[in-house]
Amino acid sequence: MAVMEEEQSDIERKQSLYNSMDEEFKIQKEMYRGQQYSQIYFARLHLMRTLLYSLVPTWKPHLPVCTVLGLEGDKECVIVGTLYKHMKLKPCVLDEYSKERSVTPLVQPHNFVHSDDYLILEDESGRVKLSGTTLSPSFYVTGIVVALHGKETGAGDFLVEDVLEAGLPPQLDPPNKLGEDKYVVFVSGLNLGSSSSNPLQVQLLVDHITGHLGDEKEQNNAAQIVQVVIAGDSVEIPRELLNGQNLAPKDQSRLSEPIKEVDILLTQIAASIPLDIMPGPNDPSNFAMPQQPLHRCLFPSSASYNTFKSCTNPHSFELDGVRFLGTSGQNIHDFEKYSEGSEEVEFLERTLKWRHIAPTAPNTLGCYPFTDRDPFFVESCPHVYFAGNQNKFGTRLITGSDGQVVRLISIPRFSKTGTAVMLNMRNLECHALSFGTEFSL
Amino acid sequence: MNNGKSKKRGAPAPPAKTPPQKQHATTEIEEDDMLDEDVFLDETLLHEEEELLLRDMDEREAIALRLAKWKRPTLSPAYLSQSTNILFQQLEIDYVIGESHKELLPNSSGPAAIIRIFGVTREGHSVCCNVHGFEPYFYISCPPGMGPDDISNFHRILEGRMRESNRNSNVPKFVRRIEMVQKKSIMYYQQQSLQPFLKIVVALPTMVASCRGILDRGIQIDGLGMKSFVTYESNILFALRFMIDCNIVGGNWIEVLTGKYKKTAKNLSYCQLEFDCLFSNLVSHVPEGEYSKMAPFRILSFDIECAGRKGLFPEPTHDPVIQVANLVTLQGEDQPFIRNVMTLKSCSPIVGVDVMSFDTEKEVLLAWRDLIREVDPDIIIGYNICKFDLPYLIQRAEALGIAEFPILGRVRNSRVRVKDATFSSRQYGTRESKEVTIEGRVQFDLFQAMQRDYKLSSYSLNSVSAHFLGEQKEDVHHSIISDLQNGNPETRRRLAVYCLKDAYLPQRLLDKLMYIYNYVEMARVTGVPISFLLSRGQSIKVLSQLLRKAKQRNLVIPNAKQAGSEQGTFEGATVLEARAGFYEKPIATLDFASLYPSIMMAYNLCYCTLVTPEDVRKLALPPESIHKTPSGDTFVKSNLQKGILPEILEELLAARKRAKADLKEAKDPLEKAVLDGRQLALKISANSVYGFTGATIGQLPCLEISSSVTSYGRQMIEHTKKLVEDKFTTLNGYEHNVEVIYGDTDSVMVLFGVTNVEAAMDLGREAAEYISRTFTKPIKLEFEKVYYPYLLISKKRYAGLLWTNPNKFDKMDTKGIETVRRDNCLLVKNLVTECLHKILIDRDIPSAVQYVKNTISDLLKNRMDLSLLVITKGLTKTGENYEVKAAHVELAERMRKRDAATAPNVGDRVPYVIVKAAKGAKAYERSEDPIYVLENNIPIDPQYYLENQISKPLLRIFEPILKNASKELLQGDHTRSISISTPSSGGIMKFAKKKLSCIGCKALISNSDSTICAHCKGREAELYCKTVSTVSELEKLFGRLWTQCQECQGSLHQDVLCTSRDCPIFYRRKKAQKDMAEAKIQLDRWNF
Repeated sequence: MAVMEEEQSDIERKQSLYNSMDEEFKIQKEMYRGQQYSQIYFARLHLMRTLLYSLVPTWKPHLPVCTVLGLEGDKECVIVGTLYKHMKLKPCVLDEYSKERSVTPLVQPHNFVHSDDYLILEDESGRVKLSGTTLSPSFYVTGIVVALHGKETGAGDFLVEDVLEAGLPPQLDPPNKLGEDKYVVFVSGLNLGSSSSNPLQVQLLVDHITGHLGDEKEQNNAAQIVQVVIAGDSVEIPRELLNGQNLAPKDQSRLSEPIKEVDILLTQIAASIPLDIMPGPNDPSNFAMPQQPLHRCLFPSSASYNTFKSCTNPHSFELDGVRFLGTSGQNIHDFEKYSEGSEEVEFLERTLKWRHIAPTAPNTLGCYPFTDRDPFFVESCPHVYFAGNQNKFGTRLITGSDGQVVRLISIPRFSKTGTAVMLNMRNLECHALSFGTEFSL
Repeated sequence: MNNGKSKKRGAPAPPAKTPPQKQHATTEIEEDDMLDEDVFLDETLLHEEEELLLRDMDEREAIALRLAKWKRPTLSPAYLSQSTNILFQQLEIDYVIGESHKELLPNSSGPAAIIRIFGVTREGHSVCCNVHGFEPYFYISCPPGMGPDDISNFHRILEGRMRESNRNSNVPKFVRRIEMVQKKSIMYYQQQSLQPFLKIVVALPTMVASCRGILDRGIQIDGLGMKSFVTYESNILFALRFMIDCNIVGGNWIEVLTGKYKKTAKNLSYCQLEFDCLFSNLVSHVPEGEYSKMAPFRILSFDIECAGRKGLFPEPTHDPVIQVANLVTLQGEDQPFIRNVMTLKSCSPIVGVDVMSFDTEKEVLLAWRDLIREVDPDIIIGYNICKFDLPYLIQRAEALGIAEFPILGRVRNSRVRVKDATFSSRQYGTRESKEVTIEGRVQFDLFQAMQRDYKLSSYSLNSVSAHFLGEQKEDVHHSIISDLQNGNPETRRRLAVYCLKDAYLPQRLLDKLMYIYNYVEMARVTGVPISFLLSRGQSIKVLSQLLRKAKQRNLVIPNAKQAGSEQGTFEGATVLEARAGFYEKPIATLDFASLYPSIMMAYNLCYCTLVTPEDVRKLALPPESIHKTPSGDTFVKSNLQKGILPEILEELLAARKRAKADLKEAKDPLEKAVLDGRQLALKISANSVYGFTGATIGQLPCLEISSSVTSYGRQMIEHTKKLVEDKFTTLNGYEHNVEVIYGDTDSVMVLFGVTNVEAAMDLGREAAEYISRTFTKPIKLEFEKVYYPYLLISKKRYAGLLWTNPNKFDKMDTKGIETVRRDNCLLVKNLVTECLHKILIDRDIPSAVQYVKNTISDLLKNRMDLSLLVITKGLTKTGENYEVKAAHVELAERMRKRDAATAPNVGDRVPYVIVKAAKGAKAYERSEDPIYVLENNIPIDPQYYLENQISKPLLRIFEPILKNASKELLQGDHTRSISISTPSSGGIMKFAKKKLSCIGCKALISNSDSTICAHCKGREAELYCKTVSTVSELEKLFGRLWTQCQECQGSLHQDVLCTSRDCPIFYRRKKAQKDMAEAKIQLDRWNF
């Protein structure tokens, strides 16, 4: 490993102005007081409907707007409501409790889409089954709010002729033209403590981004990294130990060892670069979205740095005027189960166009029962939109009709692929950063 | 006893109010105690009604217009000009008393019985056929020496006696005529051919009974002295008599040729085609080929909602009917063509549903009546409609003083009749019911059908639809119904959707279970009207067949002695002693195919082949023509006299064979449905013949027959056992000595000793064939299945994997093991099923044992899900009326004191758990409401569950497998660790002071800001992981449970209201909510 000659030429790390926008995703005063999920749907419908109603006059100027209740047979109109996808294969919690144990064990399919699935549109007044070929059930998921043009048929269905999605949200500022390259590194799925994690690979990553690796050129590159974002699943703890029993001292250490490892790692990073850590599906965090920041007591050493920030999932922040929004991947995983698409970035694109980062919450994605708001609604368009813990690296740059430019990134699991992602804030270009360890340890 | 649909709070408890317009006193109906009721046509009433209706219709023109689009198809000119034959499928036959028809019957006058046949043509027109000229009659045996002259004398005396006992009747002639006919009694073998009988024809159907009474008691006849007579066929319902004599079977097609019918002068019914004809001009088609199809009946499925007062079951005197949902489906179509809901006060529209809103309850009720009239349904279905919905509507209309409401039948002037009835039957038990007569329409209450045909742990609409349709139904507590009604159009819409669903589910059940096909086929096979199938027991079906057969042979059936219940019982079926154990070798099962019917056929057992002990001595029959049954009775063989019962059975079984063969050929799904319904009906009918002869309070009990049947059955089982054990021995060259391990009524379980299924199957087939040869035909031993492995617990209790082919087992088959009993908690069921699964399928006994131990340990450590521990019992009467104190009754009382509004009422099912209480407290004092337990953290009593619930069923399973099963399973390490939750209120907790303790070591901490004590400081990460993982699990559960409820409810934007305690996740959902709140507080302690 190269040792730096620090006195000779000090390479100074660039800095950026960081502004956290996680407030929306924090659960502070909210408690479980017996509220149900209807309210979050209501809030979502309300937000989205106002938005869609404003678009309808330009979309279908000649058509009246109805509620589901107000539908009259054979009259063409526009209705706005929440989609509900009826799925034959969707696992049902009732079955687990009530079904007789069948002789052949249930095989859980990876994807629950079936050709018999159909969509229903619902508003607070009622629901109607959708028919027609315009709307493909496999494309959509439950929880999206759309406007539909069509008419009621004799059978009580609504024959859809056209669909209006909310589209990309407006972008506050165009991506600012930084004069210089500044990089943000995304990494996810370190899974320290699991069998698939390779300590050398992880160390190489850390050394690379902190500038402890490579020649001067590489160090110069490293110095342009202004922020590291860890998008979930940093650690894997042996869950079987957490069964409510008191732990033997040996097990206590088995449990805390991987967390300590992460702490050491984070300390190394935080010592040189600002660091955001998000909780993921396997982290010692709560389950329901939005996941709350990982507790500081887990990382006693790194948490003492002011560069260390424990964030929510989803996570939203601003860096030198560039807005970032992303999750640790649960929202996209849900799409893989309940929808069809070619690659992960495509799902990212869809959610952004639907203006909702997690439409399947709460239906299939666990979520806190909010009473007066829907934090997953995307009000303004980010410049960078990412999801962690994906199968492979993928990226796409999309532009909106109002000049919006968004970089979509699917960040692969590091423990599986050895790949992190570098994003240049100057031009929103992005590339993979792969670490290979050819020799075995 | 009667646990109705939960929404209706089960058996309704309204006081037996006098129903409106009741024309007859309350009658009690014993099983098949058949009584005819004469209903008189009243022309004056007709005019009044008509006027009332016309006036009424003017005011209600708007609604009439809306309803008009659902009218039946209009008649074609051929029908209007009466130039075509009328062919229709009949559904309902009744009779009415009217003036005898002058044109068709020029020779008679005065009141007469007119048979009315209601049905539907192929085009969907409704038909009412008034049949004239059929007269009620019965037989008596002619006293010896009575000649034709004596008959007229006898006639005169009888007429005089009849006039005495029917003083207030204005019939000109009571006994129309007496004819001498040649007949024979069905009872006992008789050598002489026919004997003279007197056929007594009376004026009206009810006179059969009064005439029978007179003859039973005895009558003074000149020259013969005081004489009492045995009557024959004197207790047959008039409509059935008519059907038998005209060869009409339930639900068949009837044709009346053009010119043979006359359109009625004045229509008395609402049917499209109404005409008069003579009974001799009816053409009754045998239900075969083209005539086996179904006409497009209109089936109305409906449900009502009432706004009850808090804490009280809705009573028609107080509580309004607020909604009625109606769905009308044409028979054979899969979607209803009318979806309608009528609501009191405005209701927001529902997509695809015709919503009618009214301002007053009167309008709702009258609109419903109009709907019935316009739509003109042939069959009315629903859930618990016979005991709740229909009587409620009628009583409610009476309370509101709407005299014109209860005209729901097809006959213009006639109001619906309501009477209380009890129905008792050996097979179905005694139950109270209301009988609502709607003339011309068949009522089919799915609730009654379910109770009759299926053994379920609960008969609420919710659990029945979960069982058969695989979907949970939202259950709105009746205390919420009023709130929804008093809300706004939106909340009423909510209620309407719920109401519609309740109306739709019975229709779906009807389709899914193919009730129409099965019941119509049953009616056709047995020859009784469809309405008899639900309202009467098994024996009327056998009687109907017996009468039909007897008529062909000129036999008459004596009136049964009703006092026959003390005739004693006879020895039942035999059960070979079970050699309990766990058999890990294939067990072959040899079954007798339809054993009892076969025995009756093989040995020619019948009423008319039975020889009385007296006759055995007197007649000196040749020994080769008679045989003595093992029970000591003598019957003649078929060469002397062929029995009627064997003949009926032969026909039934042959018909079944045909139906099964046709079923294989059939391609059309509807045709298949009909045929499958038929073969099932035939099978059930064949099996009920034996029961008919043994029913001591039945129509024609004959214990000689039934005890002979069972005695043959016993003999055959023993014979089979002996034969198998003699033949399959190592001495005869077989590999192993065979062992018969168990034998039940009609099957024998054989352990051949071979280890593979295929070999056992071969031997099984060989044995079946070998033994069958030794039996009289058609008794046949069949080999069908192999059990492997087989767990035999005791007689009538076993479990095993069932194989019908050597490659793969078909299923797990259990009998008599606690998997469905409803007074057990779910834990027992789960435990037993899981253990059997592990033992039989996984073949892993240690893992089954481990599973039991883990479960017991979970139970003792209070980690058991509460919903698994809930025990449910129906509250059938109030506390004072129970003699013994019962847990659920005590609890209901206690809950009433807490909150009368939500406490269970009579008819409700009361769920409870057993909680810890002071030492020595009785079990019934320890019952508690599961919700209350959840809310207050009351500790449950694991010991009770261990000892009273799970230990017995478990030991039963494990005793044949394990030595010291009890010690191994119920005692030991896993039972030592116990934890009990701390109650949050009551008792000693009033004196307790709450203090925070360290999350790590439970040491008390004084500083309320911190989470852990100084000693645990280093373990923060670990302890936090633990707390957060609990939260995480709960969040996962919370999300899944509550979104599931949204799905059942069918709405994302509205709060879940369902309170269905039958739902498997009801308590879990509640618990998740509460646990979540607590866990969140624990987690928040880390926010320092």
